This record gives sequence, C-alpha cells and structure tokens, in this order.
Amino acid sequence: MDTPVNSQTPASSAAPRISTVARTLRILGPLLWLLGLAIPSLFPPAWITIGGIFAIYSIVALSQDIVLGRAGMYDMGHAVFFGIGAYTSAILSLSFNWPILWTIPVAIALSAALGAILSAPIVKLRGDYLLVVTIGFNAIFVLAMQNNVFGITGGADGLFGVSGPSVFGQTFGSQSELFYLNWVVLAIVLWLMRNLDRSALGRTFRYIKYDELAATTLGVNARGYKVAAFALAAAIAGLAGTLFAMQLSAVSPGSFQFTDSVVLFAIVLVGGQASVPGVLLGTAMMFVVPQIFTDLAQYRYLAFGIAMILVMILRPQGIWPARKGAL
Amino acid sequence: MKAPSSVGNPTASAPETLLELDGIGISFGGLRAVDDLSFSVRRGEIVGLIGPNGAGKTTVFNMITGVYRPTDGHIRWHGKDITGLAPHRIAAAGVRRTFQTIRLFSDMTVLENVVAGEHLQIRQKWWQGLLNTAAQRREERELIERANAVLRQLDLLDVAHEMATSLPYGAQRRVEMARTLVAKPELVILDEPAAGLNELESAALNDTIRAIRDTGITVILVEHDMSVVMSVTDSIVVINFGKKIAEGKPEDIRTTPLVIEAYLGQDDDEDDPLMTAVHQGQVTP
Repeated sequence: MDTPVNSQTPASSAAPRISTVARTLRILGPLLWLLGLAIPSLFPPAWITIGGIFAIYSIVALSQDIVLGRAGMYDMGHAVFFGIGAYTSAILSLSFNWPILWTIPVAIALSAALGAILSAPIVKLRGDYLLVVTIGFNAIFVLAMQNNVFGITGGADGLFGVSGPSVFGQTFGSQSELFYLNWVVLAIVLWLMRNLDRSALGRTFRYIKYDELAATTLGVNARGYKVAAFALAAAIAGLAGTLFAMQLSAVSPGSFQFTDSVVLFAIVLVGGQASVPGVLLGTAMMFVVPQIFTDLAQYRYLAFGIAMILVMILRPQGIWPARKGAL
Repeated sequence: MKAPSSVGNPTASAPETLLELDGIGISFGGLRAVDDLSFSVRRGEIVGLIGPNGAGKTTVFNMITGVYRPTDGHIRWHGKDITGLAPHRIAAAGVRRTFQTIRLFSDMTVLENVVAGEHLQIRQKWWQGLLNTAAQRREERELIERANAVLRQLDLLDVAHEMATSLPYGAQRRVEMARTLVAKPELVILDEPAAGLNELESAALNDTIRAIRDTGITVILVEHDMSVVMSVTDSIVVINFGKKIAEGKPEDIRTTPLVIEAYLGQDDDEDDPLMTAVHQGQVTP
C-alpha cells in the first residue's frame, strides 16, 4: 500500500526508517506557517478573513481528528464543543464584562468538562450507535441555544458585539490582528498534536482504535482513555470557539449545526485520519478552495460531496494518509 | 519436580498457589459453555489446558482475564477473589495473555505493538506527553529500550520497524508473545501458540515457553499440538463439554481411558477434533 518503503535500510539495523516525505514535511510545515504570516501584508482583506477562518476550522478539525482519527470513535456532534467554547466566551464577555482573553481558560475547561460528562455514559457504545447519540447531542444543543433555555444565549439570533482581545487598554480587533492571533494559536495546537502523536497518550488512543480488547488485556482502561480523548478534543474545540466568537464578533446557533459536525467529520475522512497534513488539506478544500472560485461558491457542498465520494472509493485512507510508525 | 496439581489441598511444602479456579461456570443463552470447573496453578508451573474443539478452553481464558464474567464460582489470584474484575484490572494484577486469533495492532510497527505491553509501567502524565517534557522524552527512550531487549530475546529486532501485521504468521505470534512478556507478568496465558506454525517453528516454541518459565513466569497453555503440550507442561487439565474430565501429569493423562475416549483415541480421522486441529494448524493463512 502506501507504507514508505526504503530498500536501502539494512535488515540488521533497528533504526526507525524515516521517509523522505516525512523529513521534508518537518521543514516544509514550519516554513508554510511562516509564509502564512505574510498573508495580512500581501493579500486583500477578504483573504485575511479567509486565512483566519481557515486557522480556526483547522483547529476544530484537528480536535475532531483526536476522537475520530486517533481514538476511532464516530463523533458526529463535534460542533457542540466548538459552540460551547464560543458561547462561553461570548456570554462571559458580553453579559459579565470579562475581558475576552480571560474567558479562554473557562471556555476550554467548560468544553472539556462537557466532553467528559457527555462521553462518559456513551463511550461503551459501538461505533454506529455512538454516532447516532452524538447527532442527538448536536440537535439538543442547537435547540437549547435557539430557545434561549438559560435566558443568556440570545435565542435564534445569538449574541452580537464580541470584541477582540485587549492588552493594556489597547483592543486588537482588526481582521489582520485576529489573523495573527488565530495563526499563533494554530501553531500551538499543531505543536500539541505533534507531541500527542509521540506520547504514550496518543499511542494508547490508537491501540484502542485498532483493537480495544487487546488493549484492555494489556492494562488499558479503555473507557477512561476514550473519555479523555473526548475531553481533550472538546478542550481544543472550545479554544477554537473563543477564536470564532472574536472573529465573527457574534455567535449564533446557525454556526454549530449538525451539518457543521458532518463537515468536520468529512474533513477528517477525506483528508486522512490521524494525519495532521491531511486534516489541514481537508480544511483548506472545504474553506479556502471555494473562495478561489467565488462564482461557484454555492456549489461548495456539491464539490465537496463529489470529492468525498471519489476519495472514499478510490483512496479510502484519505488524500494524505497518516505516517505509520511514529516510534 | 512439580507435584501434579490437585484442587484444594495446597500443602505447606508445595509451591504457592498463584491462581485458583473454584467451581466456575458460564452460560451463553441456554448453552452451558463451562460448568463447575476447578483447578489451580502454582507458581512456576506450565499448565496445559486441553480438550476437543468447542470444549470451552478459550472461554476459560476469557473468564480468567476478565473478558467474560463467570455466572458461577470464583477465581482467586494470590488467594484474593478477582472474579468479574475488568480486563485491565486483571492485567494490572499481573496476568497477560495472547489470543487464538492473533490480535496485533494493525497499521503499527512491531516496536509500537510491543511498547503497548508496557502500558502499566508508564509514568508520564498526559500533560507531560502533550508538552513533550524532558522527563517524558526520557521515558519514551526507556520504553523503547526495554521493548528492544524483549525483541532481541525473541529474535524480532530485525523487524522492529516493520508493520506488525505484515509479518509471517510465526513472527506475528512471537510479537504477541513479546508484547505480553515486556510487562514482566506473573502469569502468561497462551491461547494456541502453535496454531499456524510449521514443525520447526513449533519446536522453537517449546524452547521459548520453557525460557519464559525459567524467567519465573508461570504459564497456562491451550494447545492442540500434542508434541508441544506433552513436552513442555508440568501438568494438564483436560476438559470436554465445559467440564473437567481429567487432571494430572502429561504421562498420566496420556493413559487415562476417559481422555483417550473423549479426545485422543478416536478412530475416524475425519471426526477426530485433534486431527482436524492439526490440519487447520498446518494451513497457514
């Protein structure tokens, strides 16, 4: 298949084989990120916004990939955690006058807690059943926000007027300033993902994905790790939610629908499960490419739908499959 | 030499009883898969569990390792009741197993598979992994070193970075064994380790099993390959239709009429479960 074959490696050596692609990526990745920093000074404002949105959705999609691509759980309600983060920051900053940066830890903690609480009773379910339950979570979340159940979510219209971060009395709310913030947070999340894949935690997620029974007989508390995967993914999605609230200076139920969860799910499958470049590529296909063909932007879902069909048939492991053998 | 295992009378001089099955039974729907089964395993022994296909051997293993919860009876480990504990708790107590149908983590290397066996020795906290701290990196190197040591023992070092499921059948069995041994368990349960091995490989397996025992690990073994069972075990438990029909030293088992009747001595080759198993065993997937 696509296993990097390196015939020069002598059979007697136990040194890990690193493919040229992986080696190039180690340099290319940071380089692309640095080039991205030039976007605000080189591109028109519309593209700065697109860049910022790309960074935010990349973070959410990467977090979806923790649950789906690494731990192997069919979570089709991931927009809930994204939404909880966005609403938490919006409510704290608008109704309680918190500086937006201070809301970040709360948004992360609340999303993580919800991820743990919601997943704890359901992680024992088989894949397809889990998928249906998470769709249910998403439906309930949207309904609760629309109906303003706590009297603080602004109902169907949502909440407006979330401002950018302010440091020493100076507010940074322009699209370029927010772009830099999103871009830096993306770098932090990418670094966390790299570390996750190199750590016992990330490996244990994959052991559970590939053979849960074998993993448990090796001492893995599968339920605990599955809940941890949900909590970690939710925490990162919650962080992206705060960025999203700042970027749009508004939050509304319409941004966290079931269809948004489906898109996140599809990005991971089309891009490549447990593959950071794959997920970034998938996100770009979904949020950046349509902007190039603005006249055809209304066909975004059509194009992505066709791409999904083709990739799943012709390349079921995704456009850019995960590199195997992280150790 | 070890005395033949007999239930319920551990004498003062005999080696300590490690595992004790006390009247365990389990039903699936109306089927009584295992019924009132008792035997015990002493430290340092190699115990064989044999019986015709469908006799309930793997079910017994699944109950010991917590995959199934017995409907009756008790399982005691060091005298403590562990009946119905979750598999990961049983693993934490020091019991490891292999599977009849090999269960390696696909899409992962041999090394990653073996490092999985070290799960309970891992000290790094989740946030240390995410932040890639120096202590975490050091531990990762130690995990790899320990895994490599076991890989070398089982002659797998050359393929450490190959995808585990791409290896030949016999090597995959050794990887699974390496994954259990790296944890330094007190008891290893091997479910048909010779299945799918050729004669040469199964002879090497005998040595491997003895080597495991010599490092102080107790072994329970389900096996159809009589050459393996008869040559490495200290005692044998024979079950048929979920019930124990005999127990004793290999040389005694060989001559027990009930065993011969139930298991070893059928005339018709085609109906002989042993022969069937041998044929299946020779078919390498």
